Amino acid sequence: MPAVRNIRLCTKDCMCLYVCPSGATDTENSVIDVEKCIKGCRACVDACPSGAISLLPDAYPPQQPKKETVTDALRLLARSKAAQEKMTADIMESGPSSVTRQFAEAMSKSNRLMAEDLLRESGYMLPQSEEVRGLLESLTKSPPEGFPTDAAEKLLILLGKTT
Amino acid sequence: MRKFKCSICGFIFEEAAGLPEKGISPGTKWEDISAGFVCPWCGASKTAFVEVSENVAATVPAIQQEGPVEQVGEFTVGELSALFSNLAKGCEKQHLPEEMGLFLQISDYYRSTMHAASIAKPAPENTYAAESQAAMKDDGPPAASLHDYGFHAVSELLREDLSDGFAKANRASAAERDRGALRALVWSEKVSRMAGSHLDRYAREGDAILENTKVYVCDICGFVYLGNDLPEVCPVCKVPNYKMTQIGRR
Ligand code: SF4
Ligand code: SF4
Ligand SMILES: [Zn+2]
Ligand SMILES: [Zn+2]
Repeated sequence: MPAVRNIRLCTKDCMCLYVCPSGATDTENSVIDVEKCIKGCRACVDACPSGAISLLPDAYPPQQPKKETVTDALRLLARSKAAQEKMTADIMESGPSSVTRQFAEAMSKSNRLMAEDLLRESGYMLPQSEEVRGLLESLTKSPPEGFPTDAAEKLLILLGKTT
Repeated sequence: MRKFKCSICGFIFEEAAGLPEKGISPGTKWEDISAGFVCPWCGASKTAFVEVSENVAATVPAIQQEGPVEQVGEFTVGELSALFSNLAKGCEKQHLPEEMGLFLQISDYYRSTMHAASIAKPAPENTYAAESQAAMKDDGPPAASLHDYGFHAVSELLREDLSDGFAKANRASAAERDRGALRALVWSEKVSRMAGSHLDRYAREGDAILENTKVYVCDICGFVYLGNDLPEVCPVCKVPNYKMTQIGRR
């Protein structure tokens, strides 16, 4: 369970520098040194006045089970949002003025974010989950043309470590 | 004196109090406020407001007979691109930069597949303008759009989501008490309604709606904010406004 610091919340009061027994908190880029951090120590987490440090879990529980009636309905919406993302992305390329393209870009980004959120709630929230592993495995087994199989295989190995 | 609530962000307008900072004096009737009135928090149009009834009537949800559920089938490339870019975000939150990069690589693969498919087809014609000009001759609105460029087709899909997709998904999620799903639906339905009103305005006024106006998109929920005074928090998901990213002109 290594400690991690949220730089946005950190108010640079430096309590973590005083309490850390390993020097892991004192780095030139503000990222706590995972190698040095004594896993599970949490001295800095308790001492930080800004709630900027947390301990990462070593393992994650299974995702909440999802009903197919729900995931089907969410996926249909996500599909529509993805289609709208693509259509507006096309306008982003072909729009006649910089303002049209700006509006299209905002719409496209918005649709991507909605699609992401709907898909995450349809059973693909946790990267380490069975569901995501299953999807990656099926894609590596029969990859579409040009699919980055290496990346998927590497993910299966890496994600296996934090399950 | 009545109260009206913005269905997008929850802002409440009270006739008794008015909105003096916007030149609406206390006691002004809702009907007497100009149609160009917009929500001071989120910019939603006047039509997005609904009256708040004082006596909380017991709302019995109508029992709907569900038709056969549409077959979902395989993931589309667009879905897969979004599914994987969201997993990349999950890895970012877990401070797993390598895994994040790999998920993005897969997401980008699908994004480029999706894009390659669209480049092949010819640029959309301005059919909407012709259609709605024809409609204009009959009986006024909807206003003619000389500003389509493909946005009309987007509006059509969006209208289907709003009239059908969200209702079905909300019913299914409520029946299973899937509050995570309901949360995503509450956000995206509000974002969609607001997007619909932007698209309608764009169809009428074109680029003019963005004259002297900045454009922001909430990184969390996708809310599109058109305006110069960014609210403290996103009107939809309530994230602090540093998570709302400005979209520039290119
Ligand atoms: S104790 Fe907290 S606020 Fe202070 S420097 Fe460390 S992380 Fe930042
Ligand atoms: S958990 Fe302990 S060892 Fe790790 S950074 Fe915090 S104080 Fe240092
Ligand atoms: Zn509002
Ligand atoms: Zn938001």
